[in-house]
Amino acid sequence: MSARHRLRSLFTLVLLNGVIPIRTQPLYLLNLLASPLSFLFFITIVSHGTYLPFGVTGGMILTMLSVGTGLQSDLTHYRHDLKFQDIVVASPVEAPVYVAGMALSELVYSLPALAVFVVIFTIEGYVTVLSVAVVAGTLVLVWGFASALAFTLATYFQDVRETFMFSPLISLFLTVLPPVYYPIAALPAWAQVAARLSPTTYAAGLVQGAVGLAPLPFSEALIDWGVLLAFTAGFFLLAAFKARWKEP
Amino acid sequence: MPSAIRVEHLRKVYPQSTRGVAALEDLNLEVPSGRVYGLIGRNGAGKTTFVRICSTQLAPTAGRVEVLGHDVDREEREIRSRIACIPQESRPLYFLTVEEVVYLYLKMRGLDRAESRRRTRDALDELSLTEHRNRLVSRLSGGLRRRTLCAMVLASDADLLFLDEPTTGLDPIARREVWEAIRRTSREHRTIMLTTHYLDEAEALSTRLALVERGRLVLEGTPADLRGRVRYPYRVTIQGSFPRAELEPYGRVTEIEGGWLLFTREAEAREVARRALERNVRLSLGPVSLEDIFLDVVGRSIDEDSATEGAET
Repeated sequence: MSARHRLRSLFTLVLLNGVIPIRTQPLYLLNLLASPLSFLFFITIVSHGTYLPFGVTGGMILTMLSVGTGLQSDLTHYRHDLKFQDIVVASPVEAPVYVAGMALSELVYSLPALAVFVVIFTIEGYVTVLSVAVVAGTLVLVWGFASALAFTLATYFQDVRETFMFSPLISLFLTVLPPVYYPIAALPAWAQVAARLSPTTYAAGLVQGAVGLAPLPFSEALIDWGVLLAFTAGFFLLAAFKARWKEP
Repeated sequence: MPSAIRVEHLRKVYPQSTRGVAALEDLNLEVPSGRVYGLIGRNGAGKTTFVRICSTQLAPTAGRVEVLGHDVDREEREIRSRIACIPQESRPLYFLTVEEVVYLYLKMRGLDRAESRRRTRDALDELSLTEHRNRLVSRLSGGLRRRTLCAMVLASDADLLFLDEPTTGLDPIARREVWEAIRRTSREHRTIMLTTHYLDEAEALSTRLALVERGRLVLEGTPADLRGRVRYPYRVTIQGSFPRAELEPYGRVTEIEGGWLLFTREAEAREVARRALERNVRLSLGPVSLEDIFLDVVGRSIDEDSATEGAET
């Protein structure tokens, strides 16, 4: 397959899984908006507005993670219920093109949530060249590792119902428990160590630091970037070696 | 004629098989290119496993499989660029329209817009789907969904098509439309590997057939070859009063509504026909159908199993 054909396949997959389903059911667009906005609402009300910025930065990270959990369900459904993946395997479409196309298509569903958060982000006065670059880079990495994790997990699920069980657990361990919606300093020392096991801790640290919600010395920022990149690379390697395109 | 598929000593044991039972065992097969090749067998005989291995979805455990001149283990990319497949029990994405299912599949394979449009239009037309082209798949009957998948792969540019039970759930008219599309595709010198439960379909479409039973190749050849290789290549239907005891020495007798069905050899068939006419009994005589061959071979296999189980107990 030439590069032009690969691009054509990629955009067709984005259209097929990301754009056309919304035409059939526009409520899909609100789906990824629900959880982050609920958290934002709750946190803002409880903290009398003090934690609104954490609701915004946390909401962005949760949105990108939700892209991964959505992808996990779609991949499992397409593989087992519709045998769509089998149709794709027995075609010129290569595995990386399929994964990239499906991961990009899930991004389409995140656009309304991201738009809401960008508006609040701008109104709150967090827009600087540095903050935009850090937030965008961080979100791309979160989307990357969430997609790689989703592709790996989807390989092992035998039924889409299993994904319903895993998705809340992923949210719990990657979004709710780690300091995504609050500063890491709010945790006791032992919990801060435990929180370091989650890649979202580093993502949240970078985003919170970039908008001035928590202090982030340059050296610490470098470490956060390094660890987040390592996590992302690790999840990609996991997907490359463990996810199955051809069954054994 | 070059082979589209060449299989030598193919063996497949699924990793999750706790007893290590082989889904395919020492299978040797050669599928000529540019023809329709039928693969028949009972549920669980190994047909789908064979199709999945040849279409690069599943790794073989042992043996050598060459598809379009390329090894399935080492040259998957070369094979995938030239094949298309409708897996068993596959369904089109429910939120697409009929036209989108075909068109987007072709685009996904890398065809340009104009070519995809032209092929989509032709395929929908050929399978009488044009009037349904703007309907969502979720609103279609099971038969129309299956027909849409047939249109999808038949419209492709693939040299080798794997159709795993393509007409399941179709009404007789729709089945014949799919048959005609398959025949037309094969006239374009493309190869079609067809697995089916409908033996009339296998017989009507296939130039060669393979019967797989318990993962092993039991019979292979043209429909005429297969008839020549069974114990009783003729079937005689007798309607009316005729003693069963007089028929039994000639072959295998089965009771049917209002008479008997006898499977026998040619000379014996003539003899029975002569006797039946003497008794003024209605009779029809002809070569066995593929279904008869299937039941004969598979029936023997079931009998052997029962005998083994009986001996063990």
